Amino acid sequence: MGRGGLWIPVHIDENRPEPLYHQVEVQLRGLILSGQLAEGTLLPSIREFAADLRCSAITVRRVYQDLENEGLLRTRQGTGTFVAGIDQSARDEFRLGRVVEAFERAVETGLQLQCSREEMERIWREAYARKKAEADGDKGEQR
Amino acid sequence: MNRGTQGLTHAETDSAVTLKGAAVRQDGFALGPLDLSVPAGMVTAIVGPYGSGKSTLMRLLLRLAPCEGEATVLGQRLAPDSDVRLRERIGFVSELPHAYENHLTADEKARFASLWYPGWSWDRYERLMRAFDADRTKKLGKLSKGMRRKAELAVAMAHDPELLLLDEPSSGLDPSAWKILLDELTRYMDQGDRTLIFATHITEEVRRLADYVLFMHRGRCLGLYEKDRLFEAWRVLAVQRVEGTAGREDAARLLKQAPGVQGAQEAGPGICRIETDALEETEAYLLSAGYRILSSQRMELEEIMACLVRKGEAGR
Repeated sequence: MGRGGLWIPVHIDENRPEPLYHQVEVQLRGLILSGQLAEGTLLPSIREFAADLRCSAITVRRVYQDLENEGLLRTRQGTGTFVAGIDQSARDEFRLGRVVEAFERAVETGLQLQCSREEMERIWREAYARKKAEADGDKGEQR
Repeated sequence: MNRGTQGLTHAETDSAVTLKGAAVRQDGFALGPLDLSVPAGMVTAIVGPYGSGKSTLMRLLLRLAPCEGEATVLGQRLAPDSDVRLRERIGFVSELPHAYENHLTADEKARFASLWYPGWSWDRYERLMRAFDADRTKKLGKLSKGMRRKAELAVAMAHDPELLLLDEPSSGLDPSAWKILLDELTRYMDQGDRTLIFATHITEEVRRLADYVLFMHRGRCLGLYEKDRLFEAWRVLAVQRVEGTAGREDAARLLKQAPGVQGAQEAGPGICRIETDALEETEAYLLSAGYRILSSQRMELEEIMACLVRKGEAGR
């Protein structure tokens, strides 16, 4: 946006069945709870954000209002909409929630394919060791 | 400037323009009768082919065309004796420039406008002229189409009108001037209580600016839709019978019976192509009636327009 407003990395996938406002809301909530948008960050005005996303101001207003009601945003009259202060427990809950979801999907697949508990635990230990080594290796290379 | 949510909340309930049976009959062209309500504080794009009545509608709102029926603009009922000060609250750029202003420079035109509009601000005018990088010393008649456009836009916006009417605002603008125009209109709307109505045939302008889309064709209104709902609800589906094949009879039956269906054709062996403006209802009906949905795609503005026109023509 030409007015120096913050650019928010939200991506709309037009072929997904979820309504637009839902896609924007989920992604913006994620950016706030993951800490990628820090407390006190000034968000673009409703009009600027709508122009960036090529959606209507009605949609952006709805997202801002929902997230304000959740305590993630606050609006100061005359200045704009900011990221609110979020306590660590809410962030942890969000962070762990995503990991729990991913594990649940993996366990579901395991159960569908008749994996035993021992097999799944072994798979988990091996996957953890492999990925951890990969991640550490990457860091070593970067240095 | 209010960058927050407040500015927009109260305005939505009001209408900037209300038409009840409003019609214009002039020079062999008939507009209306129109019944519609354009929300205040919002951006409404008027789309339609040439000759659909977009410009005549603007002339009606400006009382430049004689109007039958009822028209209310910014809370004032239009009548031959209604308050002339209403015009001071409106900014307007017509599709074609006025020849009688050809001998004026932008600054000279601005000087006239500054006398007429109580809300005139030279600061705002200067800022807009700089933003558009518009020429202020050559006569308007000597300027290129795009350069003249930029000056006309700056003059029309310098009194910060409550209602801005723009007829094909970007006509003649190069891509960088177009981008500046979009930014300036965004800034104008950011105040929260301003209303913009613009006629366009450029889809990207509708995508980036509009909150509502008004479709017009042959002087009639084919519908006023909230933009995001429009693109969410309108889909083109490919459907097939679960048992047997879907043929021409299926297309005709679905067009008549399935809720939301705006168009249906046989589109290959055993497959119907269906256009709907109410995805969920149509889907539910199709599944219960023994059809399988092979694909579901969003429609572009042009496709939706074509479908509405086809339907309008069929109903004439």
